[in-house]
Amino acid sequence: MKLKKLISAMLVGTMVLSMTACGSESATDSTTETNSDAATTEEAAASDEATATGDDKLVVWTLAADLQQFADKYMEANPNVTIETVVIEPANYVTKVQTALNGGQTEPDIIVGEPQMLEDFYDAGYFEDLNQAPYNAQDYADQIVDYVWEVGQDSEGIQRAISYQITPAGIYYRRDIATEVFGTDDPEEIGKLFADYDTILETAQTLKDAGYRIFASDAEINYFSGDSAWVIDGTLNVDQGRYDYMDLCIELYQNDLTAYANQWSTPWYQAMAGEVPILTAEVQSYADDSVNVWDAEQFAEATADMDTTTVFAFGLPSWGVLTMRDNVQETSGKWGVCSGPSYGFGGGTFIGISSQSERKELAWDFLQFCTLNEDTANWWIEVSQGDTVSLIPVLEAHAEDANEIYGGQQLYKFWLEQAKGIDYSKVTRYDKAIGDAWANAITAIKQGEKTKDEAIQGFYDEVESTYPEITVNR
Amino acid sequence: MAKTWYNIKKGALYVALIALGLVCLLPFLMMIVNATRSGVEITRSFTLIPSTHLKENWVALFDYVNLFQGFWNSIKVAVPATILTAYFSAITAYAMAVYKFKGNGLLFKVIVVFMMIPGQLSLIGFYNLCQKLHMVNTYIPLIIPAIAAPGTVFFLRQYVQSALPKALLEAARIDGASEIHIFHKIVLPIMSPGIATMAIGAFIGNWNNYLVPLILLNSPEKMTLPVMISTLNAATDLQKNQGAIYLGVAISVVPILIVFCFCSKYIISSISAGSVKE
Amino acid sequence: MAKNQVAVKKKRNINNIAYLFVLPFVIVFLVFNVYPVLRTLYLSFTNYRGFGDAVWSGIDNYIRVLTDKFFWRSLWNTIKMWSLNIVLQLGIAFLLTIVFSDVKYRMRGLGVFRAVFYLPNLISATSVAFLFKTLLDWKYGSFNQMLLSIGIIDEQINWLGSSATAPWVISVIQTWMWFGNSFIMLMAGVQGISRDYFEAAAIDGAGRWTTFGKITLPLIRPIMLYVFITSLIGGLQLFDLPFLINGISGGTAGNPSGTLQTSVMYLYKFGFETNQVGYASAIAYTLFAIILIVSIIQFKTLGREDD
Repeated sequence: MKLKKLISAMLVGTMVLSMTACGSESATDSTTETNSDAATTEEAAASDEATATGDDKLVVWTLAADLQQFADKYMEANPNVTIETVVIEPANYVTKVQTALNGGQTEPDIIVGEPQMLEDFYDAGYFEDLNQAPYNAQDYADQIVDYVWEVGQDSEGIQRAISYQITPAGIYYRRDIATEVFGTDDPEEIGKLFADYDTILETAQTLKDAGYRIFASDAEINYFSGDSAWVIDGTLNVDQGRYDYMDLCIELYQNDLTAYANQWSTPWYQAMAGEVPILTAEVQSYADDSVNVWDAEQFAEATADMDTTTVFAFGLPSWGVLTMRDNVQETSGKWGVCSGPSYGFGGGTFIGISSQSERKELAWDFLQFCTLNEDTANWWIEVSQGDTVSLIPVLEAHAEDANEIYGGQQLYKFWLEQAKGIDYSKVTRYDKAIGDAWANAITAIKQGEKTKDEAIQGFYDEVESTYPEITVNR
Repeated sequence: MAKTWYNIKKGALYVALIALGLVCLLPFLMMIVNATRSGVEITRSFTLIPSTHLKENWVALFDYVNLFQGFWNSIKVAVPATILTAYFSAITAYAMAVYKFKGNGLLFKVIVVFMMIPGQLSLIGFYNLCQKLHMVNTYIPLIIPAIAAPGTVFFLRQYVQSALPKALLEAARIDGASEIHIFHKIVLPIMSPGIATMAIGAFIGNWNNYLVPLILLNSPEKMTLPVMISTLNAATDLQKNQGAIYLGVAISVVPILIVFCFCSKYIISSISAGSVKE
Repeated sequence: MAKNQVAVKKKRNINNIAYLFVLPFVIVFLVFNVYPVLRTLYLSFTNYRGFGDAVWSGIDNYIRVLTDKFFWRSLWNTIKMWSLNIVLQLGIAFLLTIVFSDVKYRMRGLGVFRAVFYLPNLISATSVAFLFKTLLDWKYGSFNQMLLSIGIIDEQINWLGSSATAPWVISVIQTWMWFGNSFIMLMAGVQGISRDYFEAAAIDGAGRWTTFGKITLPLIRPIMLYVFITSLIGGLQLFDLPFLINGISGGTAGNPSGTLQTSVMYLYKFGFETNQVGYASAIAYTLFAIILIVSIIQFKTLGREDD
């Protein structure tokens, strides 16, 4: 009987709950009582009406929280406009955009994409053609860094999206260690130590002999690897740069030249702030002294003089400036940035207008505000504390800015230089899956689970089975 | 002697159970501790000693999302959905276990078969359906489908088979009770341990449901808790927001614990209560 | 006997009410479960890419699945991880059920333990993955550090990075997450048994094991069937944990020799990462067919009385 009371109480509770729910929002739950079809269409009509009347409303879907700040700034300047920014977790962003746009939704008005997503978005026709009137985006071509401008174009060269930032990759290194080991901390000179894969190995050995490790992980050169696209004209293309990168990873790993941290793992971040304790086989000597691990004090003592190591460099795109800013701690001011073995870039948020939007004019105004407005770019450099914008005039104006974390280095000048060398055509829709397969092959070889030949054959098999349309010439 | 041996064995069992319990508590502690640490601290080291950034995390979390709104939204979805699942699964399971009707066997087979289809892909079809019914950006597709929970029906059907003495039903029928009356007055109480067990699971499932609300809900003010918290994972501030994410997750676990304690009471301990003497 | 005669007379009416009882379920089930699944079935015969038109391609996708050695590898990986997991998970759950249903020891604190054992299941898979990645890190993890210090191992083990250990580690973590759930199910089954049975057994002087084997086990067999079937279905659809464990790492760290790629991860790769929705649907249905066959075998062996 008690249970019955409970259940009826809960049922009443739900009713009340759902009533308040629909009271506050819409006619949602009345459907359970009245004719459900009528109620739902009514509701749909109501929501349509709401959106139709809101001419000064804009809906933005993004995977980078940055755009929220841009939207707030825009609303400050245009008080009659309401921008609804929906921030979606990167892992499921594409799924959400695809389901909504394939379903013919007229919202969102603004969608964004990272480079590897863009090709599919272009093919699916999600982005408005920005070259046509009234946008005439091509007029702005010379204001934006070249490679970014080109990533925003579909295969026919039509402008579809524009980014407010550039993301060229560089090597972030410790100036103090450079001076101690190599006698100089000049980015030009240190860049020469990373000029090609053989030199990197030599540099790594020199650093190890001096008691340091060149990288925290063995994947730091990833952003620079490959001199050409993975797929050219429907054929798999593994260029020499990919093999060199593979050999480098294997050498670094097997010769004990890195600190064995995984990218984005706890110790990897830790290494940005200085020494990290690394477990080595030598620790086993403690076993004989039968250290009591349950005794915290004794344990700390025993592991206090465990091997530690200090990492010399990280390979990251320009947004790494922000990652480093949050993690360098006491090593602030001791860092520098130099070029890697080739030009590379990683990530970047590209903004476009949904082709199904009903508020394209307002959307274009917002897009212009985010990407083509010098005041916005100047403001963004300030609030983001060091993000790298894509507007050339602004980058040039900030070229002399000194960044104190990097010993006063003029980073904007450096990034602009790097960006000029980037070959955008390297990006294809296949990059994620093929890159993962290549990484798996490298792991299998370096850990001795497969021979190099086996692993590469396995890689070919995997590409073939993932993309039957790609021709693989072994 | 036998008594001592008995006590030793019983003590050993308790030690083993407590050890197992500690292992289970670990992630919980970690979550609560991490809620008090800054994102940089979390990604840079691992510890079970609380830090001092609780307030900053709180501020960051509430700056970013309207957590109470999300809480309320989640309650509006999870509570009705759980009740619908519990009630309709119970009545369906009871009907399937007790009555003989045409299609019963088929229905059971279909239910089991549908449990076997990997869920990830029906998402597309589900979205299309909601769109045709004009249910995108409403809570209806998150609540009404709870009426049909194949797994729960399957479990409760099995439960009725093992726990419900048929003689009881016969007796009630003799007394002239109607079938629906029998279900409400006699069967439901007997099924309550099973229903409570499933209700816990259903509530947790609804409360933590992530992918479907993410795809279906578009307005930020309608988002449920897990969807809101996930937005803290947005590319730019990923590391900085770690502490706030843990705080959000820790807060969102509280209602689950409440429901858990609440339902546990209804999993009546018939064994220990009426246990036989040694 | 008189009772039965009355019941027989009313039988037709009584049984008809069942249609009313199952009606809400059936309607909602048809709309929200069956329709989406049939739509996926249709897509599995097309080359749908997630956008644009779905062009009919017959059984091409299925031929491709059957000849795709990476699909079979992913299935093998899944079975490997699942088999250790199921043995451990159900083993522990059974032991706990025996301990707590034992009439002689009468263990106290069932409520507390039940709640605590369930805790790992409440934390999101993301947090679990992060926790274990940190604890089991090769050169920096506390776990290796501890093992080294007490001398159990001479050299740190790359738990999650080597194909020899990673799948088994996933099985153990999976067990840790789910044994509480299985325990609750089995315990609910035991608690549903009328105490009359136990009293009768005690009067007959039956011992602990006799009671368990002769009364408890047969009576909770329907629940056991449920627990087995759901673990099988859940296990073969394993996704979250291996996906996150090898996803967070990035670079060349994760997924040693592809041993962590499960069938549903493989499906996800095509459905959501490379826009081959038609092919992904075919993978889903092939996987479904395999689960179906294995379940039928389980039904035949465990649920003899069940239709």
